[in-house]
Amino acid sequence: MEELSLKKKVTKGWSQFSERGVFIVLILLVVILSILTPNFRRIGNIINIARQISEISISAIGMTYLIIAAEFDLAVGSVYGLAAIVAAIVLRQGFPVILAFLAALAVGVVVGLINGTVTTKLKVPAFIVTLSMLTIVRGFVYGLSGGYSISIFPESANSFFLLGNSIGGVFPIQIIIMIVLFIIAGVILSKTTFGFKIYATGGNKNAAQLTGINTDRVKIYAFIISGLTAAIAGIISLSYLQSVHPSAGIGREMDVIAAVILGGTYLYGGRGTILGTFLGAAIIGIIRNGMVLLSVPAYSQESFIGFIILIAVIVDIWLKREKD
Amino acid sequence: MENENFIEFHNISKIFPGVKALDNISFNIKRGEIHALVGENGAGKSTLINICSGVLTPNDGFIVINGNKVKISNPKAAEDFKIATAFQEVPICPYMSIAQNIFLGPAPVSKFGLLNEKFMNKKTAELLNMFDIRRHPKDRMGKLSISEQSMIQILRVLNTEPYFIILDEPTSSLSYEQKDILFTVLNKIRSERELTVLYVSHRLEEIFEITNRITVLKDGKFITTLNTNETEIDSIINLMVGRNIDKNSMRKKKSIGSVILEAKDISRLGVLENISFKLRKGEILGIAGLQGAGRTELGRAVFGADKIDNGNIYIDGKKVKIKNISQAIKYGIAMISENRRDEGIIPQLSVKANLILVAYTRVSYIGFLINKKINALVNDFISKLNIKVSSSMQKISNLSGGNQQKVIISRWLAKNPRILICDEPTKGIDVGAKSEIHSMIVDLAIKGISVLLISSELPEILSICDRVIVMKKGRITGELTFEEATEEKIMRYATA
Repeated sequence: MEELSLKKKVTKGWSQFSERGVFIVLILLVVILSILTPNFRRIGNIINIARQISEISISAIGMTYLIIAAEFDLAVGSVYGLAAIVAAIVLRQGFPVILAFLAALAVGVVVGLINGTVTTKLKVPAFIVTLSMLTIVRGFVYGLSGGYSISIFPESANSFFLLGNSIGGVFPIQIIIMIVLFIIAGVILSKTTFGFKIYATGGNKNAAQLTGINTDRVKIYAFIISGLTAAIAGIISLSYLQSVHPSAGIGREMDVIAAVILGGTYLYGGRGTILGTFLGAAIIGIIRNGMVLLSVPAYSQESFIGFIILIAVIVDIWLKREKD
Repeated sequence: MENENFIEFHNISKIFPGVKALDNISFNIKRGEIHALVGENGAGKSTLINICSGVLTPNDGFIVINGNKVKISNPKAAEDFKIATAFQEVPICPYMSIAQNIFLGPAPVSKFGLLNEKFMNKKTAELLNMFDIRRHPKDRMGKLSISEQSMIQILRVLNTEPYFIILDEPTSSLSYEQKDILFTVLNKIRSERELTVLYVSHRLEEIFEITNRITVLKDGKFITTLNTNETEIDSIINLMVGRNIDKNSMRKKKSIGSVILEAKDISRLGVLENISFKLRKGEILGIAGLQGAGRTELGRAVFGADKIDNGNIYIDGKKVKIKNISQAIKYGIAMISENRRDEGIIPQLSVKANLILVAYTRVSYIGFLINKKINALVNDFISKLNIKVSSSMQKISNLSGGNQQKVIISRWLAKNPRILICDEPTKGIDVGAKSEIHSMIVDLAIKGISVLLISSELPEILSICDRVIVMKKGRITGELTFEEATEEKIMRYATA
């Protein structure tokens, strides 16, 4: 190995930094918003943004795995809602807190398992399977809740809501959960054989199969992880709000998919990173926050977000074509 | 002045990265004749068809149609010259009717701007009648047998009332009777309206039955054009294959050991029929045959990628059930697929990731990939196999075909296989890398790996295989030792 000068090392590191595109966008947004509105820079606001994106970004972890494996999941918003409702019902009945956690996580695992099995074994496109699941699961949410919010809990539920607290009243625990999950997910995806198999499966399913990889199983695991992270996001929402409405999570899938795609994960599989997804979620959070600070009318906000996503996908496809 | 030739090719060359598919081809096809185009796989027939139909444009040379120098720059242009091609791979819309499939391109429109279904169905009925196909024009295409579908494909081409049609292996899935009907109709249309036909086929008997002249291509070069009635099958075979192959230059001294793999009567419905063979330690066994003979399917069956309906496989004399690929890998079998792009490389990933795809357990510890081990393994193969990369992090899709193939071979060698199935290992690879891969395979055999070499290139088979089995229509039609084997003998087994 030849000795590299610091400058060369930096240049080389930068050129290998695959998230540099989205990173530049993020920095630009931060700079522009800091100039436009001084409130943006305040530590309190930054912490607020991080808390706000934690639910979307945790759910986006599973979605990243799934999109890299060349599948995707429209049911995450419904799973988020059902997990929260199920946990709330368990808590309301005065069952132990741990049972509420397990029940909510089980919702994610079961829905993910169904999505994955039907998609891979019965060869129904994920779009159809998870679109149906979106409605089916939402139906359960309404059925179980009777259409009403659940917000009155016995004392025994109090320890569940600790997750929604902030350390010293300023730093929300859910940010720590987000960071920990991102580190674990990043390590699994980039450093383990399982992560490697996800990339291989999404990159070229036929080739992966011919090397003995059970691509169906890999995809089913990715669906389960997507369900699981959506359920974790639901748990966090319940513990923060200490209440859950049956419409919780409607339309959530769009923000989650948008975060993943903005983060540079290739829509057709095989390429993407957890760090990119984090940056993608951060961009969405910052844009939303910035628009509030700049008093952009709520309805135009949605259009603007949609516009940003479209541009990001066009750029992604364009970049891909450029290289081939 | 009327020109006697419908189409003339003048010094046509077509170069793909690493290969000269057509090299300075010149010949002509007379108006109203049925002209055969023959040659081995890779002789340049498909490239020439694609040039005629506007799919490809030549790098050099020009085409003359009816005495005028023309450019067929896209499929639309070919259509304008009334050139129509019935491709071998039939693109059909299975959920549309026969009539709709026949009128897929230029559909007739009624005066209200809607599809004129009545006319379409009437015209289709006439065509079906002419070819004696007992189907209703409104029948769904997907319900038809493969042979009927390929007949429909020819009907569709004829329906455009072309001056010149190109038939690519038109009879490959037809029955005897259907073939006779096709030939009768072709002759009829030809005499009625001076239809010119370019007939591309491996089936030499048929060529002698229907064509007027035969053009032979070999390795992208024009060999000759002969009048069909002045030549015979054997001389055509000799022209197609006749090369001077040094069967011994690549050969090295080695010992061939005991039987490692044995297949007994393996069958797969409609694909393989009672295939039996033995593969010994350190032996390179060639599997020759034409496209569609079932060679790839045999490789896939042994590798557990496709199910075997009947018959057994023995490894080291013990009967084994190979239900899937991971079992095959456990038994020490490796396979390099024919289709490098779709079944080999993972284009988005690096050379490194592609290389450890099979042997990732070797470079990991309790599920965690160990970078140090990966780099050691990858760098070892890069230098051993002389893989040309700027860095192991380079994307595999940016490498040349030859280097991609070396990465894929390394991928399997990293797993230390005992049996290596190579399906067309040098397809689309430049000459230099080709001979490197050949000597690599020979070296592997010396080290005791047994190789099943599936190849369409007879020189490849003759120069490195110890033994050759020849397949045709899913059966083994012949077996030759390397001393006995010649291109002519193999071709005879493959076509007979």
